[in-house]
Amino acid sequence: MTLKMTLQGGLIYLTLLFFLATLVAHRFNRKSLRRGFWAAAFVAAVTSLTWRGLHTGHPPMQNLFEFFLCMAASLWPLSQWSRWKNGIDTETRDALLGIVILFPAGFILSEDVRRLPPALQCPLFIPHVASYVAGYVMLARASLLALPLLRKDVEGGALRAADVAVRQTAAAGFVLLTAGLLLGAMWGKICWGNYWHFDPKEMWSLATWLMYGGYFHYRLKHGLRMHRATTVLLWLGLLFVVLTLTWINLSRLFSGLHNYA
Amino acid sequence: MKKLIDILTGMGTAAWTCWICALFSVYLAFLGAEHAAGFMAGPGMQVIVAVLIFLIGYSGMRAVRRRRLDSAALHIGCVCVMAGWLWGQHANRSATPDNPAKGSMALIDGDVSDALWTGAYLTNFVGKVPFSIKLEKFFIEHYEQNGFDREAGRMAPIREYRSRVTVSEPGKAPYVANIRVNQPLYVRGYHIYQMSWGNTVDRFRRPVVYTVLQFIRDPGLPLVYSGFMLLFVGVLLFYVRVFRIKQPEELEDKA
Repeated sequence: MTLKMTLQGGLIYLTLLFFLATLVAHRFNRKSLRRGFWAAAFVAAVTSLTWRGLHTGHPPMQNLFEFFLCMAASLWPLSQWSRWKNGIDTETRDALLGIVILFPAGFILSEDVRRLPPALQCPLFIPHVASYVAGYVMLARASLLALPLLRKDVEGGALRAADVAVRQTAAAGFVLLTAGLLLGAMWGKICWGNYWHFDPKEMWSLATWLMYGGYFHYRLKHGLRMHRATTVLLWLGLLFVVLTLTWINLSRLFSGLHNYA
Repeated sequence: MKKLIDILTGMGTAAWTCWICALFSVYLAFLGAEHAAGFMAGPGMQVIVAVLIFLIGYSGMRAVRRRRLDSAALHIGCVCVMAGWLWGQHANRSATPDNPAKGSMALIDGDVSDALWTGAYLTNFVGKVPFSIKLEKFFIEHYEQNGFDREAGRMAPIREYRSRVTVSEPGKAPYVANIRVNQPLYVRGYHIYQMSWGNTVDRFRRPVVYTVLQFIRDPGLPLVYSGFMLLFVGVLLFYVRVFRIKQPEELEDKA
C-alpha cells in the first residue's frame, strides 16, 4: 500500500476522487452534478491513460497497471452504450466499479516503465488486450445490473426489463471475450508457433469463456423462471474473471507465457 | 440410441458440459503448460475430444436444420477448432524423418542446414526439411539507452531479434528473408520462428552468438482458422439475436 507521488499517481487519484464525487452526488440526489462528476472522471481517466502512453512510448496495455487504467477509461463510453441500447442509467454502479478497478492501480501496483519486449511487438497487441478490457468491464457491469434480479420485490415488467438489460450486456461482453480469445490464439501462432499452449492463463481464460457459455445455455433452457440461479451463475463467471486478472497474473504458482504483470 | 444422443445434446447437459470443461481447464492450469499439453496428447483425452466433437457437431447440425444460424456457426466453429487440433496432433504422431512436424536448428553466422533437432540441448535428431536454410547474420538490437538505464548502469532492453537467412528450395532460385519474433517465415508447409539464442564458441575458440530457429508444420491449421472465423461470425449473430429482444415497454406499446 503506497502512495504514488507522481503526475501519473495524481491523475489516478483525481479520477478516483471524481468517481467518489459521483457516488456522493447520487446520495444527495443531485442529478446534474452527478452527470458532471461522471464526465469529469472520464476526462481524468483518459488523461491519465494518455499520459501513461506518452510517458512509456508504447500503447498502455503492457501490464496489469496499464490494463486497469484502460478499464477505468472504458467505463464512461460503456455506460453511454447502456443508456442508448437499454435506456437505463448505470452511472452510479459504474462509478462504484471504477473505484474497485482503480484502487489497485492507485495504491498497490507499481508504475515502473518497461519497454516492450520483442514478443509484445505485434499488430494484434492492441485488439487482443482492448477486447479483453472492454469484455471484462462489460461482464462486470452485467453482474452489477443483475443484482436487482435477486430482490424479492422486483417482478413482472420490472423483472423482464432488468433481465433483458442483463442479457444484452452479458452478450456484448461475451462477444468481446470471444474476440479476445481468438485474437490471442492467432497471436500465439504468430509469436510462439502454436495457437494453444495450455498456458495457465490461457486455460483460465478458456474456463471463463466456458462458464459464460454454460450461463447462456442455462438461460436458454430455463428462461426467466430461474432468474436467481442465472444471476448467481453470472457472478460465478465474474469470479473467474477476477481470478484470471489477479491471482493468475500475480502468483508464482501459474508461471507461463503471460507473466508480464 | 437416438434418445441418448438427444439427452446428451440437450440444453441442460450442454450447460453442465461447459461447466465441467471449465473446471477441467482450471485443473490443467494447475498442472502447468508442459504437463497439461502432455496430458491432452494422451490417447484417452483424444477419444474424449472426439466424442465432444461428435456431440457438439450433432447440436450444430440440428441448429442448421432449425435455421438457428448463430448457434449453428458457434457449434460448428467449435467442432472445426477441435478437429483441426486433433489433426495437428495426428500429424505430430505420424511424423517421419522425411516429413518432420516439429523441430529446431541452432545456427551461427554462415551455417547451412536442413536438419531438425529436439531436446533441451538440441541433441536428438528429428528429420530433414525439403529445403535448406543458410544463416547470413543474426542481429540483436537494443533500445536506446535512457536516463534510467544510465543511472542503473545497465544496457537498454532488447528491441529485436532477427535472423537474416537465405532459403534454398529445390527448383527455385535462393532468396533472402528475415525471421523476427512475431514475424515467422512460411516455406513449403513449415512456419519458421525466431525461437531463442545464446553464446557459444566456434572451432577456433572465438566467442560467437548462435540463433535457434523453430520449424512447425501443422496441417490442421486451416481448419482451426476457419473454426475461428465461424466462431466469430456465430458470436456476432448471437449478439444480433439477443438485441432483437424487445424491451418490455415497447411490447406493451404494440399490445
